[in-house]
Amino acid sequence: MDQSQQSINETQRRQTVAAAICGGILIAIILLITTVWVSTAARTGTSQAVAQVSEFYLEELAGRRAQVVSEELKNNFTYMENALSVLDSSDLESQDTLRRFLGKVKQLYGVNKFALVDENGIVYTQHSTTSGLSRYPFLAQKVTEPVITMSSLYGAKKQVILAIPVEGISFEGSRIEVCFIQLNISEMISSLTLQTGGNETFCNLYHRSGESLTDNNFGYLTSGHNLLSALRESELDPGYSYQQLEADFNVGQMGQISFRYRGGHEDLCYIPVEGTSWMLTILIRDNVINDQISSISSGMLRRSVIQIAITLAATLGVSIALIAQYRRNAQTLITREKADGDRIRAAYAQVERQQTAMEMIHAAMGSGQWHMDFDEDAKMVSCTWSDVFRNMLGYESEEDFPNLLESWSELLHDEDRERVLRAYWAAVRDYTGGTAYDVEYRLFTKHAGWRWFHSAGRLSRREDGSPITFVGLFLDVDDSKTMAIQLEQQRLDLQDALVAAQHANRAKTTFLNNMSHDIRTPMNAIIGFTSLAAAHIDNTEQVQDYLAKITTSSNHLLSLINDVLDMSRIESGKVKIEEKETSLPEVMHDLKTIVQSDIASKQLEFYIDTADVVNEHVLCDKLRLNQVLLNLLSNAMKFTMPGGIVSVRVIQKPGAADGWAAYDFQVKDTGIGMSQEFLAHVFDPFERERTSTVSGIQGTGLGMAITKNIVDMMGGAISVASEEGKGSTFTVSLHFQTCSGPVRQEEIPQLKGLRALVADDDFNTCSSVTKMLSTIGMRSDWTTSGKEAVLRTRLAADQGDEYAVFIIDWLMPDMNGVEVVRRIRTIIGEDKPIIILTAYDWSDIEEEARDAGVTAFCSKPIFLSELRELLETPFIPRGQEQLSSAPDISFAGKKILLAEDNELNQEIAIEILQSSGFDLDVVDDGQTAVERMSTAQPGQYDLILMDIQMPIMDGYEAAQRIRAMNRPGVTDIPIIAMTANAFDEDRRAALDAGMNGHIAKPIDVPKLMELLQTQLA
Amino acid sequence: MLIKTRQNLRALALAALCACSLGLSGCQAAPPVSSDPPAVQSASGGPADAVRFDRTLDGYSPGKKEYDFYFTYKMVHPWWDAVALGMEDAARQYEELGVVVNYEYLAPTEVSALDQLRRLREAAERGFDVIGVDVADVGTVTPAINALLDQGQKVMTFSSSDASAENGCRRIAYVGNTHNYEDGADLTRALCEKLGGRGKVALLVGTPGAPCHEDRALGARRVIGQYPDMEIVETEYDRDTVELAYQYTKEFLASHPDLAGIICCNMSNPVGAARAVVEAGRQDQVVIVGMDHDQEALGYLRDGVIYALGVQDCYSIGFDTIQVAVKIADGLLPGDLYPEKTEEITTIIYQEDAASMLRILYGEID
Repeated sequence: MDQSQQSINETQRRQTVAAAICGGILIAIILLITTVWVSTAARTGTSQAVAQVSEFYLEELAGRRAQVVSEELKNNFTYMENALSVLDSSDLESQDTLRRFLGKVKQLYGVNKFALVDENGIVYTQHSTTSGLSRYPFLAQKVTEPVITMSSLYGAKKQVILAIPVEGISFEGSRIEVCFIQLNISEMISSLTLQTGGNETFCNLYHRSGESLTDNNFGYLTSGHNLLSALRESELDPGYSYQQLEADFNVGQMGQISFRYRGGHEDLCYIPVEGTSWMLTILIRDNVINDQISSISSGMLRRSVIQIAITLAATLGVSIALIAQYRRNAQTLITREKADGDRIRAAYAQVERQQTAMEMIHAAMGSGQWHMDFDEDAKMVSCTWSDVFRNMLGYESEEDFPNLLESWSELLHDEDRERVLRAYWAAVRDYTGGTAYDVEYRLFTKHAGWRWFHSAGRLSRREDGSPITFVGLFLDVDDSKTMAIQLEQQRLDLQDALVAAQHANRAKTTFLNNMSHDIRTPMNAIIGFTSLAAAHIDNTEQVQDYLAKITTSSNHLLSLINDVLDMSRIESGKVKIEEKETSLPEVMHDLKTIVQSDIASKQLEFYIDTADVVNEHVLCDKLRLNQVLLNLLSNAMKFTMPGGIVSVRVIQKPGAADGWAAYDFQVKDTGIGMSQEFLAHVFDPFERERTSTVSGIQGTGLGMAITKNIVDMMGGAISVASEEGKGSTFTVSLHFQTCSGPVRQEEIPQLKGLRALVADDDFNTCSSVTKMLSTIGMRSDWTTSGKEAVLRTRLAADQGDEYAVFIIDWLMPDMNGVEVVRRIRTIIGEDKPIIILTAYDWSDIEEEARDAGVTAFCSKPIFLSELRELLETPFIPRGQEQLSSAPDISFAGKKILLAEDNELNQEIAIEILQSSGFDLDVVDDGQTAVERMSTAQPGQYDLILMDIQMPIMDGYEAAQRIRAMNRPGVTDIPIIAMTANAFDEDRRAALDAGMNGHIAKPIDVPKLMELLQTQLA
Repeated sequence: MLIKTRQNLRALALAALCACSLGLSGCQAAPPVSSDPPAVQSASGGPADAVRFDRTLDGYSPGKKEYDFYFTYKMVHPWWDAVALGMEDAARQYEELGVVVNYEYLAPTEVSALDQLRRLREAAERGFDVIGVDVADVGTVTPAINALLDQGQKVMTFSSSDASAENGCRRIAYVGNTHNYEDGADLTRALCEKLGGRGKVALLVGTPGAPCHEDRALGARRVIGQYPDMEIVETEYDRDTVELAYQYTKEFLASHPDLAGIICCNMSNPVGAARAVVEAGRQDQVVIVGMDHDQEALGYLRDGVIYALGVQDCYSIGFDTIQVAVKIADGLLPGDLYPEKTEEITTIIYQEDAASMLRILYGEID
């Protein structure tokens, strides 16, 4: 810069400074003069305006307060209406509920009292019920519209009462006619009175008569004084008249008055309160206003002058300092600007080169760049997707794929979106910078559908850690990711396959080990005892003993084979659940019949009972249900020592859906129990507890596994509770569809109200039967003692309220049932029915029992339908019913054609059948059997026993061909399959082939005889 | 002004005096002699002390968090509304301590001992902690109270009328005016002194059988008996209604042109009497004394129509009734914590006290 240029700049600078100083001084002077002028004028004018201002002020003040009071009253009316609208019948159930309601409302609206009044003037509040006719004079008239009234209570407690009529609500038989709220008006008004230091404006409410509504003082007027009376004695300012004041009060008109009372000059403004006959009054003392305004004006003037002087000095000082600094900065800036300009240009060029290079790299590598900017609050202010990024997603332009976060996030796969966005925002909001953004996810691309991408980014941050920019890359990793996923899936599949193979191998080994042991054990006995029998063939007694042991081992071996096959069929899915109508009483009675002999031989006590069973007919697979219960019972009997107790209980549980019934079948024993360790595996195949107690008891270890599988197939559940040395309880829970309605629950009219006595040493039976008797309308008593039953019978007779029906257990500890019956008969005579209830076969004692006076027998468990039938039908001596039992049928003269290819089986069959009187012809295959029948005379054979698996022609085809013959008397011959194909489907196949029955090998002789008898009858 | 708190000695002396003067014949309603010390000590003597609105609870810690009481009184009437205010405040103070007091406070619109029996029976069936009764008729109600006690109910009496052991009643405690006889006697004595011990007077009573009214009437009769130149020429029961009191007074005035005074034994008596006397223009010839704090009656006192009124502290009656009921409900019997009879004061006021009393009770000055 040259010398002349510097000289010109210096001159300009001086001129600028001089102008600034002069201007500042001029402004200061003007400010000072105008402030003094304005303040003086204001001071003068204010005094003149006081009267007008206070008038407006008072009017405004009074108007607003009157509005507040009016609104408050309206609000309270609304509160009452709101409260009544939510009052419902549950609140009116009792004094307690009503009081709770009133308490809640009182608390909610903050009123002194919230009350309801009934037609008798009884006032109900939160804590009290009182007679209100004298206390609340407004109740003397019927309240037909909202009422605002005062209650000048004893003790000068003035209260405002707001009441509304009530309709359609009754409480304890009386109509609620009024609802009212009690307000403390003094409290309401005190909040409207302004207080500043010792000076006050006063606010109060008056009746138009001048009587105060509150207990408050009003200026110099003491509480209780009549306002109009007091003002009559005051000195009114010129222009105001007392008559005008009184008239205004009379008609409820707004007005203002200035007066002197007890030495003070005061202004009073009064205004009617809308919706009431009240006048709201505001009173202010004049001297308060004047003093305040004068003080304020003087203060204002003083402060303004001081303020101007300080402002002027400060402005001058700051201006000088700024000018000096400005000069120094200007020089420095010029130098820096030049250097910075060079650096920035170089930097821009560098950045441009790098950006170009980066874009080329991204394009070459297939990676897209993105960039985002954030403000100090970590809110995104811009988002930029590179073109490479867009292209990777199949978009051409910013128009197709705008620079918005949502453009990207909306393409995220649903399974990835939450995770990716969480990672994104976690990185942005982690002010420590410790969270990296590095994720893989799927995006929906426009051209190739879902593809995997890898994205990573880094943030630059401010000093406080808040994000500035977030820059990242985006790579298409779909090919490698898809490959990795496939590999992982293959790895998992292989792993699963390996585990399955290992498991299967282990299972196979375990199975073979178990089977080897379990088959060898009875086989060893069979072979051993067979050898011993052969060695002692002349000793008949010894041979018989060996044969018995061989039979036992054979039976065990058979049951093992049956179980293994059952298990195998269950696991291969061949077993199907076939639901059909089933009678639960029949199932339970069959169960009892089946196990009774074993129970007796093992000298066990056996109970079977029911509880709350109202649906006795259900849809279920009877065969499988029987199998489950028999398995459980067999186990229970097997592991219970002689003298122990085994019981079965059927319970119908409540809560089943319509058309369904839920049952628990409980099988309980007092046997050896199980360890807790074993309980966890009790339902696993081949599991047996290897303890010294169990050893020696035969079993396949499959029974419980089969049971569990069947229960699972039936959609049920099985559980077990057990304690070593005490016994076990198995509970099977099953849901069945009901196929007939519940057992009739109605009372039996002939028995209604009559007394019944139940005597059974089992409490559960007493309880169950008693409940059933109640259902049919009888009054029942029960006892677990035979002696007490006799005693009760005597007492009932003495009281003239005899029992009409007796249900007595056969075996009771203190006296057996027959003896109990005998003694009861001596008291009641012969006409009342006495029923013996027993779980045992009563045929041995029937005659003795009937002689003692037993009317009928009933088998446990007893169901409601059975009890109902028993009591509804006349009693028929059982002996007569049983006389009709079928006589023995002789098979002598009957001829059977036996088709069997195995010689040993032929021999066994021949022996069995001939010993029963049959004549037999034997053929070795199905073809021969067909030929034999094609030439046989009608009636030559009475029946064919047909093996299934035979050479040349199997049994099915043979049967079909025989049925296809057109030979009356031959074609319809009974054919029974006698085969080792022992499953259900085999039975069905036999029937489908036209056979009449099926019996499995090995032959169960009694069953065979029964079947033959049925077919030949 | 006369402020009364009855001391045992004085009551005994008075009873002895009455017994002597009447020869004990037919003296069923002898002045009640309380064996308990008075609950209220001597007041200072101004109208401000007549009714103590500044009562606070006595510091007893209730045993339960919630109580349910049933109170029944003679009839729906402003006098019992004043009692109700004391109850309300006591209940409110208990609520501030976290103890809820629920109560029913009910009465018929006309005095009826039979109605009271019905109410007691029904209350007993509803299981309240304590049942309180302002006895409408001692003879009728006492057996019912005893029967309730036999059933295990806790029963107390309160407010204006007691039925005590002397009446064969076994109620647990009483809160209220224990000196009705003296109230009647003192008012009558004031009237006699005003009349110079001579003249005909009429006696207005409230409900026949109501102990408080009958005791006041008895006190009045005995005092008149001590003045040989005085005579009770008429006695009528207004059944606690102003209208009847007014009617009877009109009849008195018509029948006895020289009637000099009227003694009023309840709250409605003086109002009806004053109305009739003013209507007849004979307020300068007939001196009226009466009971209670009716606002209209206080106005007549201020205006000189009524000569003296006995103002009872109804507020304290209600307040103490709740306090005693809480203790009874907790199973406490009369003793150190509360007396068998909680005595509340009666203050006799005259014309000069009327304005002050009006202001205290009703906030009325002009």
